[in-house]
Amino acid sequence: MADPTQIPMDFGHLPAFSDADFLAAASNAEALEWVRRWPAWPAFALALAGPAGCGKTHLAHMFRDRSGGVLLAAASLTEDNVPLLAEHMAVVVEDADRGVDEVALFHLYNLLRETGRFLLLTGRQAPARWRRALPDLRSRLAAMPVAAIHAPDDGLLEALLLKLFVDRQLRVGPDVLSFILPRMERSFAGARALVEAIDVAALARQRPVTVPLVRAVLLGETGRDG
Amino acid sequence: MNDDAVRAQWNRVRGRLRDEFGEAAFKSWLNPLTLADVRNGQVRICVPTRFLRDWVVTHYGDRIRTLWSKENAAINGVDIVVLPTSGAKPNAAANEPTAGKAPPPATLLPPCEPTAASEEIGAPLDPRYRFDNFVVGKPNEFAYAAARRVAESDTVSFNPLFLYGGVGLGKTHLMHAVAWHIRERNPRRSVIYLSAEKFMYRFVRALRFQDTMAFKEQFRSVDVLMIDDVQFIGGKDSTQEEFFHTFNSLVDQGRQIIISADKSPSDLQGMEERLRSRLGCGLVADIHATSYELRLGIIGAKAEQMGVEVPRKVAEFLAHKITSNVRELEGALNRVVAHAQLVGRDITLESTQEVLHDLLRANDRRITIEEIQKKVAEHFNIRLADMHSARRARQVARPRQVAMYLAKQLTSRSLPEIGRKFGGRDHTTVMHAVKKVEELRDADSSFDEDIELLRRMLET
Repeated sequence: MADPTQIPMDFGHLPAFSDADFLAAASNAEALEWVRRWPAWPAFALALAGPAGCGKTHLAHMFRDRSGGVLLAAASLTEDNVPLLAEHMAVVVEDADRGVDEVALFHLYNLLRETGRFLLLTGRQAPARWRRALPDLRSRLAAMPVAAIHAPDDGLLEALLLKLFVDRQLRVGPDVLSFILPRMERSFAGARALVEAIDVAALARQRPVTVPLVRAVLLGETGRDG
Repeated sequence: MNDDAVRAQWNRVRGRLRDEFGEAAFKSWLNPLTLADVRNGQVRICVPTRFLRDWVVTHYGDRIRTLWSKENAAINGVDIVVLPTSGAKPNAAANEPTAGKAPPPATLLPPCEPTAASEEIGAPLDPRYRFDNFVVGKPNEFAYAAARRVAESDTVSFNPLFLYGGVGLGKTHLMHAVAWHIRERNPRRSVIYLSAEKFMYRFVRALRFQDTMAFKEQFRSVDVLMIDDVQFIGGKDSTQEEFFHTFNSLVDQGRQIIISADKSPSDLQGMEERLRSRLGCGLVADIHATSYELRLGIIGAKAEQMGVEVPRKVAEFLAHKITSNVRELEGALNRVVAHAQLVGRDITLESTQEVLHDLLRANDRRITIEEIQKKVAEHFNIRLADMHSARRARQVARPRQVAMYLAKQLTSRSLPEIGRKFGGRDHTTVMHAVKKVEELRDADSSFDEDIELLRRMLET
């Protein structure tokens, strides 16, 4: 055999989305606070804006459970399902900044507002920056309160790494975490990509996650650092 | 060993943990721990999730063990186990989307409350939309006067009243105000207010349930019919047809009709000619874009209504910057006020600019390490080359540390990468610089202000 390593299969893994699993930190304090304060909101609608992997989906699920509402991806929103959706106490539309039926979102907004129900939208940017063609929708989005999620600080990065490892059923020691932290790209997406690469490497080599393994992955990634 | 004694010991352990690790860490990680039992010298502690278990074991496991054995010499081990709280749904995980894939289409659960059989055909009126809090200025005084006249007269003077104007200029506010006014003056007059989209939904539903007779009856028996945003039935032929007949029937009976739209009747897209001419045959009043004075007046009125103090400078800033329409102006004020209340601080020009940065700027610039080096070098009056040089003199070393610190704060670059950009330094040098600057910021308030100023300059 030319290559002794195995080809890892992606069996998928289920992220934990409960309240207790959410990593509270300064960077997401505002967003978390608004989710907790519901229904005492400044308006019936709220947007969560933050970079990929920052916990928007997690907060959206927490809000869904809290409000007894319904959660759907923007791509699933159609003019047909708006009236039925609007009968829920709250509706969460995820990734509403990309590929959404604008007329449907506009109607949903109006119906929820009229009947005193709630709307939560998530996206990478604040709604004022979403490119929307429908002027009536654009103006409503621009007027929405926004809870921004900012770049993670060191404490959150460490907790995030551990959560990502646990989500993948990987056990890592504190030595591994303190090795990674000063050497990684310090973003949500960076943490996610790194843990995934480590997972793949550990599976392929059938070795536990140790400092030498992580060093090898980081070397492979940047080609320079160890 | 009795239960109460064990509980008391556990409470003391918790108290110690709180003291040692601080309130924030305690609240996040340690508060969710619950004591299960103590058996054969083994303490069992429950946590609600697997993640929390791993975190607590890694960071606090040893300390918890030590504190327990201090409390109770008979304890020789602590076991932390996962026990979901009773509120957790066992199969919730099955409904969760897997990472990287879009969530599945929402299952449409039954409505949270049954729709009443004798359902209101109109939409509820917003209690905040009244004449007395509609701020009048040059751009909207004609529309306001026309709306008031219709609301105050018992006879139909012009039919329909057609209000139009750009997005978010207060058409809906005026419509609701008219409806409130009529209802209060004469509660027996039946006033139906709804949006054109809702009219359409009702009609489509009536068609589906073969119930169009009841639909017609409902709409043709009102005294005042108000349809908001009529442009939304543009291109919907069957809805237009039904609306046309409803319209004629009401006009024939001498009932009042009030319509709003984003354009004048002649400019409405996808509207049948006969309907377009009917819409324009009464009084057509337009609302113009806001003026600076009107915007300032609106902010003042809205702030008063919310019971908040908005500094003059902030009001002027908003009136100057948020020129698009009233909805966005009020939305902006709402955001600023909500943020101030959330964080418990006063509203200032700085906080306003920060909260509304997405409205005020089309994009956040991505700050580069090179920009940071340049700005910091300029600020401290050293050569840019000194950012990369090996010189260790304080007057260049300190600015270099400041630049490293800002590179860590304002970019997501890894520390080794930051080190490389500063003349091939090691990541431990960057860590040392960050620590040093953090200490200086704590110790020296003028240094702290200096750094804050640099950060602000780089971010705007």
